[in-house]
Amino acid sequence: MQLPEADLEYLIRTLSDARSRATELAVSLGSRLGSEHRLTELANTAASNIETTLRDIRNAATGESAAGTGLSDLQSALRTGTQPVAVVKETLTSPPPPTISFAASAGLDGEHWLSVLVDELLAQARTSGGITFERVERMLQQRKDEFLRDFLTARRMYRTYPRLFPEIADETRPLTTPSTI
Amino acid sequence: MTIDLREFNELSRKAAELMSETADVPSVLRNRLGEQHDLTHAAERMATSIETFVRELRSFDASSEPAVTDSYTNPY
Repeated sequence: MQLPEADLEYLIRTLSDARSRATELAVSLGSRLGSEHRLTELANTAASNIETTLRDIRNAATGESAAGTGLSDLQSALRTGTQPVAVVKETLTSPPPPTISFAASAGLDGEHWLSVLVDELLAQARTSGGITFERVERMLQQRKDEFLRDFLTARRMYRTYPRLFPEIADETRPLTTPSTI
Repeated sequence: MTIDLREFNELSRKAAELMSETADVPSVLRNRLGEQHDLTHAAERMATSIETFVRELRSFDASSEPAVTDSYTNPY
């Protein structure tokens, strides 16, 4: 792919923001007009197309980066007669696995979004040897978007099958109304 | 929940911003990768879907829509 790094950074940042905005619009419209309304569906379609474009660009960029790094390492190794630097670095600088996870030390459930995010950030920092503010922002935005999508799905399920969630229905039912179910 | 027209106008404004901020994505990819590249096609589909969404949102008459309620009403 012949995309300069600056263009790549711009596209990913623009599309990440756009995906977040489109998802929020879809959630807002869904709550006001219903999930089956045409406007909600159009907003979901737009968010989905943004997501697809963003994923394709990321995949293309990641594939090129990985291939480029491997080739340069091999060429360097051939010139110097040594092993590729990345291989040595990976084996020597990989930190030992933590004895206590972030989730456990923070008293969070292992599936909590913050725990998942921290694990992803640490994994990213280990594999790439560093991390930037921009990447942290993008990963946090991904978590937020996933949360909004899950929220939308859960609400749609509750509206469609309210009897599957008796504990929530009990909370929303007036206290003076006797239960006849 | 009733539909607040001012809030709805705010949604329309945000949607217009979304379209404006992503408008140049297809042209960036087209200039760098060519018109036939898969990424260019994906970006054009994305832009078209956003434009359709914004156009429908602008022509939508919020005041004619029935209200949607968020709370669950026990039918029994």
